[in-house]
Amino acid sequence: MTAITLPPRQRCRLRLPFSPWHLVLLPASLLLIFPFLWMLITSLETQNESLHFPPILVPHKLVPANYPNAFDAAPFSHFFVNSIVVAVSTVVANLVLCSLAGYAFARLRFLGRTALFIVLMATLMVPFQVTMIPQFLIEKWLGVHVLAAVGINHLGALILPNAATAFGVFFLRQFFKTLPLEYEESARVEGATRFTVLWRIVLPLSLPALATLAALTFLESWNSFLWPLIAVDSQNEMTLPLGLQTFQNAHNTQWPLLMAANVMTLVPMLLVFFFAQRYFVRSVASTGLGGA
Amino acid sequence: MLVLHPKCADQGISARWPVRLIASLMVFGLAAFGLAACGSGSGGSTGANGKLSLDIWEGYTGVEAATFTHLVKEYEAANPGITISVLTVNNDNTLTKVQTAVAGGSPPDIAYLYGSWAPNVAQIPQVVNLTNVVKRPGVNWDDFFVGERDVATVGSKVIGIPALVDNLAVVYNKKLFAQAGLTPPGPDWTWDEFEADALKLTDAAKKQFGTAYVTPESEDSVWHWEVLLWEAGGELLTPGNKAAAFNSPAGLKTLELLRTMAVQQHSMYLDPSDSEYANLFNSGKIGMLVTGPWDLSAFPNVSYGVQVMPSFPGSSGGHQTISGPDNWVVFNNGAAHVAAAEKFTLWLTAPKQGKYFSLKTGDLPTRTSVANSAGFDQEMNKTLPGVSTFIDNLANVQQARPQIPTYPKISTALANMVVSVLVGSAQPQAALTTAAQKVDQILSSGNSG
Amino acid sequence: MSEHIGGWLFATPATVIIVLFGAVPIIWSIVLSFEHVPLGSGGRFIGTANYRELAHDPVVRQAIGHTFIYTALFVPLTMIIGLFLAVAMNRKIRFISFYRTAAYVTMAVSTINEALVFLWLFDPSYGIVNFAAHALGLPQQQFLNSPSEALGVIVVMTVWGWTGFAVIIYLAALQGIPQSVLDASSMDGAGSWATFRRITVPLLSPASLFLAVWLTINALQLFDEVYVSTQGGPVGATTVIVYYIYQQGFQYFNAGYASAIALLLLIITLVVTAVQFRIGRRYVNYRS
Repeated sequence: MTAITLPPRQRCRLRLPFSPWHLVLLPASLLLIFPFLWMLITSLETQNESLHFPPILVPHKLVPANYPNAFDAAPFSHFFVNSIVVAVSTVVANLVLCSLAGYAFARLRFLGRTALFIVLMATLMVPFQVTMIPQFLIEKWLGVHVLAAVGINHLGALILPNAATAFGVFFLRQFFKTLPLEYEESARVEGATRFTVLWRIVLPLSLPALATLAALTFLESWNSFLWPLIAVDSQNEMTLPLGLQTFQNAHNTQWPLLMAANVMTLVPMLLVFFFAQRYFVRSVASTGLGGA
Repeated sequence: MLVLHPKCADQGISARWPVRLIASLMVFGLAAFGLAACGSGSGGSTGANGKLSLDIWEGYTGVEAATFTHLVKEYEAANPGITISVLTVNNDNTLTKVQTAVAGGSPPDIAYLYGSWAPNVAQIPQVVNLTNVVKRPGVNWDDFFVGERDVATVGSKVIGIPALVDNLAVVYNKKLFAQAGLTPPGPDWTWDEFEADALKLTDAAKKQFGTAYVTPESEDSVWHWEVLLWEAGGELLTPGNKAAAFNSPAGLKTLELLRTMAVQQHSMYLDPSDSEYANLFNSGKIGMLVTGPWDLSAFPNVSYGVQVMPSFPGSSGGHQTISGPDNWVVFNNGAAHVAAAEKFTLWLTAPKQGKYFSLKTGDLPTRTSVANSAGFDQEMNKTLPGVSTFIDNLANVQQARPQIPTYPKISTALANMVVSVLVGSAQPQAALTTAAQKVDQILSSGNSG
Repeated sequence: MSEHIGGWLFATPATVIIVLFGAVPIIWSIVLSFEHVPLGSGGRFIGTANYRELAHDPVVRQAIGHTFIYTALFVPLTMIIGLFLAVAMNRKIRFISFYRTAAYVTMAVSTINEALVFLWLFDPSYGIVNFAAHALGLPQQQFLNSPSEALGVIVVMTVWGWTGFAVIIYLAALQGIPQSVLDASSMDGAGSWATFRRITVPLLSPASLFLAVWLTINALQLFDEVYVSTQGGPVGATTVIVYYIYQQGFQYFNAGYASAIALLLLIITLVVTAVQFRIGRRYVNYRS
C-alpha cells in the first residue's frame, strides 16, 4: 500500500442533529419493509375491505380480532412448536457439521479435497423440483430400515435432509479463509490439536459468520413449504407454512386471516434477529497483528 | 494446555459463554429430536383401536371446510368402524403430493383432484377403476351432469366421482350499467352487444374498464377462450383428437373479438395475476366479468347481476358454456380400504349430502335431481345471491375439453396464442396458424419424453 | 498423513448428509433422463432420445436466453445495492438495529406477498410506477403484460427480495475488517472513497466472490417469482429454465425430459461457477 497524501479538503459542514446516513437508510428501509407493512395493514382489515383493488392502505375499520380468529382456525400453537423444533434442530446441526467441514476445506489439505468440494457445490445446482421425489424415497427407506424417527411423516424427516447444506459449508469455508493464519499456526506450534484450534481459536473469531449462518438457516427452515408439503401426511406433523393453507384456496382466499397468520409466523423470526444483533457485531476486536 | 490468546482475555471475553450457548443448544436439539421421534406414523392403516382409517386429501377452506368436517363427523358417527383422517392440501398442490406418494407406494385413500388432470391421473396404476361401482343401484350415475361425467371418464374408464361443478357466465355491475344508460343484458344477448356495452362502460379518466381477461399462461387463460370458440360453432380438435380444428372462421371470429376489445378499444383490463380482476370488480372498476360462481362471494360491495354467456349471431353454438368439474379419486390401498373409500365417496356425493353441502356453501349441485328440487334455486340465492343463474346455466354445458394426456401441452400453446393476441404482439390469423401447427405437432408426437 | 485423516474426519458428517440427500437424487435424475417416465409408473429406457429432443426444442434455447439475461442483470444489481446499504449500516448510529432488521424482513416475507405487492406497483392502470412515469412525462408501460418488459419487472422484484441477503453477508464481512487497518488508511490522509476503493473492497473480495457465486447459482434457478406472477408469460417471455423443467415435469408429466433439462442446467451452472472461481483466484485476497 502506498501512503496517500491528500491536501486537507474544505468541507462545508452541515450540522444536522442526526447522522446524515439516516437520510439514506430510512427511505431505503421503508422501501424494503413496504410489503411487510402492507401485510400488517391487510391483516387488520375486514374481509370486504381486503377485496379492493387498488389495495386500501388506510382501512375504515380495524379488526384486531383477525389475529385470535386466525389462530383458532387451525392448531397453530402445535404448528408453531413443530416449526421451532425443526428450525432449531436444523440450525444446531448446521452450525456443528458445517463448521467442521468448512474448516476442513479451508485449512486442511487432504486427498480429494477439491473433487469433494466440487461434488458438494454441484448439489446446489439442481433445483429442488428435480430432487424432491428421490429425496422422498430415500427418507421413506430410512424410516423403514434405519430409524423410524426420520421417516416420512415425522419431524426428523424435515430435519435430516437439511442438517447440513453445501451452502453452509461453502459460506463458512470462505469466512474461515479470511482469518489470519497466525493465530492457528501459533496454537499448533504450542501443541494444540486441530479440533482445539477450531473450537478455541477459529470459532470464537467467527461469531458474526456463525450468527449469520444461523439466521439464514433458521429462516430457510422456518419458511420451507415444498418439502414439508410432500413429507407430511398428517396434521400433527404440520409446520407453520403448511398451516397457512387453511386460509388459501385456488379461488377464495381469506386475505385478512391469511395475513394475520403470516404476520404471526414472521414476527418470532424478526424478534430473534433483532435481539441477536449483538452477535453480528464483532465481539472480539481483531487486533492489529501487523497489518493485513 | 492452551492459553486463550491474551487479546481475547483483555476484551473480557470469557471462553465459557460460547460453550454454554452451544451446549444448551445441543441439549435442546437432542431433546427436540427425541420429541420428534414420538411423531405419529402415517395414517391410512388400521387405527389404534382396530378401526379402519381412511386418509383423505382435500383443499377446502372457510365455509367449505367447516361443512365438510360436519359431514365427516356425521359419517363417522353412523359408521363406528371407520375413522376418517383429513389432510388439508391446497388443490393446486394435491397432484404433486399424490405423485410423490405414489412413487413411494403410499397414496392416500381418497384425493380431491382437478378434472383437468384426469387424463394423466388415469395413468396412475393405483387409481381405482370405478366403472362398475357407479353402475350400482342407487348411485344414479346419469343424475350427475353430463359435463361432470365426461371429465370423470377417461377412455372407457371412470376414474373419479364428481366433487364439484361450475361453469362460466357473465357477472355485471348493475350500478355501472345504470350510470352508462345501458339496459342490463338479457338471456338472448349477443357478443356484438357485449362488445358495445364494454365500450360504453369504459372510462379512461375514471380508470374504469368494460370487462377483463386473465392472462397468466395457464389453463385459466385458455378455457375463457374455448367457450367463445364453442359459441362461435367451432371445435378445438378433429373427431378422434387427431388434429387441430380451431384454425377456422369460428376461431378467427373469437380472436378478432378479443383483439377489438383489448387492443383497439381498450375496454378490456388484462390481469396477469388472476386475482386482481375480482378485487377490481368489487371496487366498481369493471363493468362485466366472464367468471364462475366461486367469485360471487368476492363481490360484497357491488350490486351485481348474473346472465348467461352471449351468443354469436348466426352460429350453431348458442349460449353454450364451459364447465370445470373436479373429482374425488380413489386409490388402491388394499381391498378393505378400497371398499370403505368407495362407500364413503358414494355417500358424500349422494343427493342428500350434496344438497346439504350446496346449500351451506353456495357451491353448485353436482346432481340434476338436486338442481331441480323444489325451492332449491331460491334457497341457494339466499346463501349466494345470483347463483341460481349458474345452476340453470348447467344445462348449457354440452361438451367437455379433450380428455387426452397431451392436453396440458396443447393448453400452453393455446394460452400463448390467446395472450399474444391480447397484448397485441400477434395478429389473430397468424396466431391461429402458429398455434394450430404447434398443436398438430404435439398430437402427432404424443406424450413421448 | 494425519492431515488427510483429520480432513476427512472433519468433512465426513456434513458430506454424508449432503451426498445422501443431494448427490444421490441428482444421480437418480440423471438415470431418469434416459427414460420415458409416464405419471405414476416406472420408466422405460429410451437412450438419448430426450437429449436429442432437447437439442431441437426452441423453448429450451429461449429459456436459456431468458435465464442468462436475467442473471446478468440480477447479480450485479443486488451486489452493488447490497454493498452500498451494508456500508451505510456498518456504524453505530441510532436505529441501526431497526435498519438491519428491515434488511432481514425482505428475506422473511414470502414470495406470494412479494409478488402481490409488485403486481400492484407495476399494474399498468393502477400502479405507482406508471403513475410516477405519467407525472414525469414518460410514456405508460405495460410491464407484466409486455413480452419485452416482464422479465425486467421480475428483475426488480427479485433484487428487492435478495438485497437483504447481500446486506447481511457484506455486514458480516465488514465486521471482519480490523478497525486498525481503516484507521491506518485515514491516518495516511486517504479520503473515505479512496479508503473504500483501495482497502475495503479488496478486503471484501472473499465475500464478493461468495455472493457472486451464490447469487448466480440462485439466479440460474429462478422459479418462485415466475410461478406466482407471470407463470412463464406473457407469451413465454419469462419462461426460465427451471420454470420449463417444472412445466415438463409437473404439468406435462414428462419426468424423463425434465431430468434431461435439469442435467443441462447443472452443467451450465458448473461451468459458470468454475469460471467465477477462476476469476476469483486472480482478484480475491484472503488475508492469510
